[in-house]
Amino acid sequence: MAGSTAEAAEFARRLLRHSERTATYAPWRDRQRFRRLVKQVGLPENRDETWRFTNVSHWYATALEESLGAADIRLRAPAGVEVLDFGAPGAKRLVDWRGAAVVDPAEHPLAAVNGLLLGAGVAVRAPAGVTLAEPVVIERLGAAYQHVLVVVEDGATLELVEAPSKHAHRIVECVVGAGGRLVHKRRQLGADARECNLIAARVGAQGHYTLSQVASGGALRRNDVAVVLAGAGAEAMVFGAWRLDGDQHLDNQVQVHHVAGAGRSRQTYRGVAGGSSRAVLCGGIRIAPGANGTDAVMDSKNLLASPAARVYAKPALQIHASDVKCGHGATVGRLDDNAILYLRSRGVAEADARALLVRGFLSEAIVDDAGAAQLGLRA
Amino acid sequence: MNLLTVDNLHVTAEGKSILKGLALAVAPGEVHALMGPNGSGKSTFANVLAGRADYEVTAGSVALDGEELMELAPEERARRGLFLAFQYPVEIPGVSNMEFLKAAADARAKAAGEEPPPAAQFIRRVREIAAELGLSPDFLKRGVNEGFSGGEKKRNEIMQMLLLRPRLAILDETDSGLDIDALKVVAAGINAFRNADNAVLLVTHYQRLLNHVVPDRVHVLTDGAIVRSGEASLALALEENGYGWLDG
Repeated sequence: MAGSTAEAAEFARRLLRHSERTATYAPWRDRQRFRRLVKQVGLPENRDETWRFTNVSHWYATALEESLGAADIRLRAPAGVEVLDFGAPGAKRLVDWRGAAVVDPAEHPLAAVNGLLLGAGVAVRAPAGVTLAEPVVIERLGAAYQHVLVVVEDGATLELVEAPSKHAHRIVECVVGAGGRLVHKRRQLGADARECNLIAARVGAQGHYTLSQVASGGALRRNDVAVVLAGAGAEAMVFGAWRLDGDQHLDNQVQVHHVAGAGRSRQTYRGVAGGSSRAVLCGGIRIAPGANGTDAVMDSKNLLASPAARVYAKPALQIHASDVKCGHGATVGRLDDNAILYLRSRGVAEADARALLVRGFLSEAIVDDAGAAQLGLRA
Repeated sequence: MNLLTVDNLHVTAEGKSILKGLALAVAPGEVHALMGPNGSGKSTFANVLAGRADYEVTAGSVALDGEELMELAPEERARRGLFLAFQYPVEIPGVSNMEFLKAAADARAKAAGEEPPPAAQFIRRVREIAAELGLSPDFLKRGVNEGFSGGEKKRNEIMQMLLLRPRLAILDETDSGLDIDALKVVAAGINAFRNADNAVLLVTHYQRLLNHVVPDRVHVLTDGAIVRSGEASLALALEENGYGWLDG
């Protein structure tokens, strides 16, 4: 299933050869650094604990050809938001300002590859104190390797909606300043999509970050999420809802890191796995020394809709502070026969009862009607 | 014609015989109480009628308005007018009480070939019933039975009964776990429900609900069969003497 060491090394060499012929986009990027990191770190292998379930090597090789495409960036943004193509003059300033530190490519092998082969990047900035009524909607980033940087300055409020491309690797870096607020919605569409995502957010004092990912299907989908509560009293709400069928594959690796004290985080995942699909949810909470007063909860529930479906749910807690509240729960099960009978005993047909129960189950991890519609849940 | 006719009902669960020739007839307009010690088969009987799958009917028949019930799916029984108030109402997180009620009402309308009730009118009706049972409108927005107290769960069952207006309501230990105030509210709900066309079967361990809802007939179930039937006074005698009194 996962890539062997030899395979990963071979694909890493191909990437490096390939990158010599590309790299005209956003020339200010320090590609030599990414090149060194790819050489050092290579591609993920099955030996890596967090890559046990997902093999991306082959896909990376096929994505190479697409990485040559010109940057094609389409988004809608309300007035008052600054939007910059990474290829435009001035982008370096914004990207270097506060964004670059969120993702450490030395820790994420694919981030280094993304840096090396980047084909489309966009930076979005909500200026301090500004509340934007309309969301920024990223409709298309036309290249295999993509990067989105979102900066919500102190006291600003922004909603970001993404409908990610099929067949892409995308990094989304979010910087939320003190008292800022970012609601980030990701619609993961396409039953045959192959995509990897790295979502990294850093939230300042009293800032708020909501991440909602809704995945309908996906041939191979990997979501790495790393949220850092960097300022005192910061808050993060992370939601994941998915519905898989056939031989679809979804791998979520989430880490919420409480660095500063008095932070609050909630992780809520609800997934339905049918057919012979495979869902992975590794949800982690890390509480740094001194992050006292932290209140962190992770709640993961999975439904198996067929005997051949597989779910791997693994909570991982690292608590290095004493005065904290931290809870987690992970369940994998089937629809409750008692609940089905309860509905049927009120006159509801069995199929409708099941549909209602699935909807109720998933709705706990869905934040809006669009998300419910995406998963085929009737209103 | 009887509303409910149970004849020689034999039921097993996991190979063990639980009901052994139970017979019962309930006429329209009547309230019957089915009493008996723990393990006598009271709840099994209630659940078999509703269509729970864990049981096997090995002999006998159950007819509602002359139609055989045991071959029907649980939803078909419900649509023909059977209602079971669950002893342990099920929690359904993520589905609001109002959604649940609307799903039930819509399913019944659809099965009857009727238009579903208009939403505004339906919501008004549900709120009225909730208010009668001392349940706040907020209660309707919460997940079905999610985090409800024992008393709220039981009142919720009564609310469903009043809304769905079944032909036969079977109340499985609806009185258990209620304080005296909640018991009175539940009893008032049952009394409001009673009319000349429907019937109520109270499955209970204790006599105290019967102080507030006076039954027409009381039956004592022991080891899977009715061993004694009588008028309301039988329940008082049982309360006084215990179930062992019947063996003497």
